[in-house]
Amino acid sequence: MLCGLTAGAWLGAAEAPTKLVTLGLSPVVISLSMVIGVFLARWTLPALIQGTSYVAADMRQAPHLIVWAVLAGCLWAVANTLTIFAVRDVGLSIAFPLWNSNSLLGIFWGILFFQELRGADWRRWVGVLGGAALMFAGATALAIASAAQVPARDAVRGVAAALAAGVLWGTMYIPYRKAYLTGMSPLSFITFFTVGELGMMTALAVTYSGGVSPLWSQLSGARHVLFWLLAGGFVWVVGDLFQQYAVKYAGITRGIPLSNTNQLWGLLWGILVFGELRGASHSVLAQVIGGSLVMAVGAGVIALSSVSGSEHARWQKAAASEGERYGVDPEYTRSRIAGKDASSIVRGRTWIDWLVVSVATATIVGFALMARAPQLAVAWGWAAGLVMVTLGMLAAAGVRLWRATRFN
Amino acid sequence: MSDNRREQRSGSWLGLVLRDVQFWVPVAVLAAGLLVLRWIS
Repeated sequence: MLCGLTAGAWLGAAEAPTKLVTLGLSPVVISLSMVIGVFLARWTLPALIQGTSYVAADMRQAPHLIVWAVLAGCLWAVANTLTIFAVRDVGLSIAFPLWNSNSLLGIFWGILFFQELRGADWRRWVGVLGGAALMFAGATALAIASAAQVPARDAVRGVAAALAAGVLWGTMYIPYRKAYLTGMSPLSFITFFTVGELGMMTALAVTYSGGVSPLWSQLSGARHVLFWLLAGGFVWVVGDLFQQYAVKYAGITRGIPLSNTNQLWGLLWGILVFGELRGASHSVLAQVIGGSLVMAVGAGVIALSSVSGSEHARWQKAAASEGERYGVDPEYTRSRIAGKDASSIVRGRTWIDWLVVSVATATIVGFALMARAPQLAVAWGWAAGLVMVTLGMLAAAGVRLWRATRFN
Repeated sequence: MSDNRREQRSGSWLGLVLRDVQFWVPVAVLAAGLLVLRWIS
């Protein structure tokens, strides 16, 4: 639960660097640049925390999950691109609640395929489903209130894009859960997830930019702001990592709705740091406060609906069936689901890990040297406050996670 | 499940993935998503 809430804070904070980028870039270039940052982070963090030998050993235990991870990455990239078109065509206020329905679909897949909520008492069913519905309602109110003044260009296509993005993201939780029921560490899963993510995003960017040369010239022209997009991608990965741990240890039904509190954090950054909604009408402010409260209550209700012993027993049954299907060592699955080290996995860093970290660091430093300072009015006091709170949540969740699972 | 049987299964993991009904749900959704993207762009 703590991982889910921390994921929300970091995923929300990831929006901040992207706001520093001046408008004028193609949406696909923005998305691709963020994904490059995401790719760097998804290889650096596992190398730093567990070492690539740990990731390789994990994959030897369950090699079939490489296919699932790449597939999940492809789903993410297509969904993210669809959201850009949805915002362009119908505006954020309509698009956001539509694609935010991904958590409802995720809950559906969790119940249908992975025995989630089976064996839970009626209070937990009401808590999870009611909390998700409350969060959906709160998100809708917030999206309407914080809508950008984007004129609707093509309503039918925009709604279809937003709904399709929600379905893609909601379905992406099937590979997630598949991996974590087997016992895989999120740090290993994301390493291959990002291959699908970057591959699909590059293909989409080349297609929609009109070829490799036009894409390259757009990226070259944007080199002064690419650092901020890379930074946004890096921060996003920290949030996503906690989201993955939340899915592993609390299931889709709890983890995903809790991490969807990112909308609240994005709003806090927007209002307090970037001065959004300044001079807004009372009705808009009432919608923002009301929507935020409803969302927070929904998250609280879900957080209180912890997984019961009988539900855990059903999860273990689903995990055993998954291990049987793919021939995974039952001892590996059992120990990893309990957050313990499997006896066959050895931790340790090699020169490859330091090479990965050095290349990623050099790339980010290179873009930072090219970056220009943002031309935006920023409330640095509030920014510092939010950064401290976000780092505090990272420390609290990280320490608890390390003590309980050793990041397995 | 015996170790031998597990090793045999591990060797044909790609076939196991392709025979898993749950695998085709995200694949179908991905294909549909790409079609929607082509239509709206």
